[in-house]
Amino acid sequence: MKLLNKTNEYYIAVAIALLFIGSFVTANRVLYLINKEINERLMLEKGEIESQIANQPNIASAGFIIGDRIEVTPVYEIEMLTVQLKDTVRYVPYEEHLVPYRQLLYEKKINGQYYKIRILKRLPEVKDMFWGLAITIALITIDVIFSFYFLNRWFSRRIWSPFYTALDVLKNFDLRKGGKVTFAKSPVEEFNAMNHELTKLTDKVSRDYQNLKEFTENMSHETQTPLAIIHSKLDLMLQSEDLTEAQTERIRSSLDAVNRLSRMNKSLIMLTRIDNEQYADTKLVNFGGLIKKQLGYLDVFSTNKELVVNENVDEQRIFQLNEQLAEILISNLLSNAIKYNKKGGLLNVEMYENYFIVSNSGDEMKIPHEQIFERFKKGTQKDSVGLGLAIAKKICDHFNMTIKYSYENQLHTFVVEFPYEVIVG
Amino acid sequence: MKVLIIEDEDDLRNSIVEYLQQTGIVCESAHNFKTAIEKITMYEYDSIIVDIGLPDGDGLKVIEELKQDKAETGVIIVSAKNSLEDKLKGLNIGADDYITKPFHLSELSARIKSVIRRRSFQGKNDIILNELRIIPDEMVVFVNEQHVSLTRTEHQLLLYFISNPNKVLTKESIAEHLWGDHADMADSFDFIYSHIKNLRKKIIEKGGQDYVKSVYGVGYKLNV
Repeated sequence: MKLLNKTNEYYIAVAIALLFIGSFVTANRVLYLINKEINERLMLEKGEIESQIANQPNIASAGFIIGDRIEVTPVYEIEMLTVQLKDTVRYVPYEEHLVPYRQLLYEKKINGQYYKIRILKRLPEVKDMFWGLAITIALITIDVIFSFYFLNRWFSRRIWSPFYTALDVLKNFDLRKGGKVTFAKSPVEEFNAMNHELTKLTDKVSRDYQNLKEFTENMSHETQTPLAIIHSKLDLMLQSEDLTEAQTERIRSSLDAVNRLSRMNKSLIMLTRIDNEQYADTKLVNFGGLIKKQLGYLDVFSTNKELVVNENVDEQRIFQLNEQLAEILISNLLSNAIKYNKKGGLLNVEMYENYFIVSNSGDEMKIPHEQIFERFKKGTQKDSVGLGLAIAKKICDHFNMTIKYSYENQLHTFVVEFPYEVIVG
Repeated sequence: MKVLIIEDEDDLRNSIVEYLQQTGIVCESAHNFKTAIEKITMYEYDSIIVDIGLPDGDGLKVIEELKQDKAETGVIIVSAKNSLEDKLKGLNIGADDYITKPFHLSELSARIKSVIRRRSFQGKNDIILNELRIIPDEMVVFVNEQHVSLTRTEHQLLLYFISNPNKVLTKESIAEHLWGDHADMADSFDFIYSHIKNLRKKIIEKGGQDYVKSVYGVGYKLNV
């Protein structure tokens, strides 16, 4: 949800609550005032009638005045001691329905005669009035809310525009493409402060990233020479006469460790070099052909493992890629599928349209599927460096290809999908 | 066979010299660019091994210098970088091979001998070891002048052993020699064992000696 909508949402929620409470309270208040006014009028009329009766005793039988009903009945004695004020209804013959009235009923001695006086004042239709008032108030409030909503949007958009500009700049921020950001100057101090901090932050991130990349590459290269020294000394030691079996074994496992370290270095260098755009040159690559070639190299291993190889490779698939990386991708996926296969297992290799699919038999891995492409994540295989799939993923990312892993029916499957921009034929 | 080792790291250079001497190669060494240039102008070598990361000058310049008047000398580049561009650049100016650190000394020895063989005259090409005669380029082997038909892998194995006589060769180094980057694919070394078994069988069948011995669980050795 957008910031503007979020603030407006709060405004509207508050306004709707106010609308309900406000119109209810206002309508009630208005009705209360009307009610009070009617009562006051009744009391006023009471005084007037009494003075009229005092002046003209005959008036008692005079009947009623239009609008209000006034009944004056002479009585012999006083039965009611209080003045009774209550709401009642009367049937009005010409309107043919019951009409609400406020009734003032009391008995009083005027000029020595007892009278029972009843004043009935017609009441307005309260329910109709209430709703009429409420709706009017609601309409006014809605009108205010809408104007406020649009005005607020308009103001906010103007005020927040530097924020959105900065956001766009950040969206285009890419470490691999230099990682430099420049923000436009804003008249609002807070935005300038934010942009200043963002510039500082991104500059630092870029610098750290560059340093880290250089460090990784230098470190990996520089360690190769000491490793070569260790390796050569171990090689020589292995040639000594009269070594015991245990000594020989120690030398062998040391050599093993040196080799593993060196393979890891090579893989790390590869990852860094892809990041550094050192494989930027692309050309038309017959991907199907490359798969066939790699399968040929690896044939000796799949035969040794007695694998059943199902090959369905369209050799006419041409893509715009870096050939070296394409070869590494194919080689990593295929050798992975052979290395971690079962003896006599299945190896399926498919290439059609813009899909390259490799699947192999094997037990399910213990690591979660989404971690399979992460560096140094490996299953139970001890001798693996754990970078082969990370490199495959990096290569795919580099060319905007997607690579997905799934495990179904005892088969590990990797699906590489090429984007349309690299497809040539 | 006379070889010049140009390497600035004393420890590595000494190891290389020691190992190669033991496999029958006469070695001289240079620890920097200046000495290297002096030696290549003054003496003749069958091959030079040059580290292209020399501190006082580019190793590639040594090769360019050498190729000007001694084009027939074999050149092997040693580099800490496994970079295709560097490799292509080196091969373009006349290097024969490119090996990245760290490496098995046995592998270096095999590469040197292969380069020297390829650079030598055709008549000298045969390798003779008692009753064995190998013509490497044609992948042909004779035992007591009887032709033995070997597979490509067996042939590569035999050459590798002959380049490192009396040396313990680890299974890892053999796998790497045979399959390079795919060496770790040969997860069970039974694979190498069966190749070696076949090779031995074929030589013995024609009356040859059983030269290849296994060494504990580590690897194999060609006893001469």
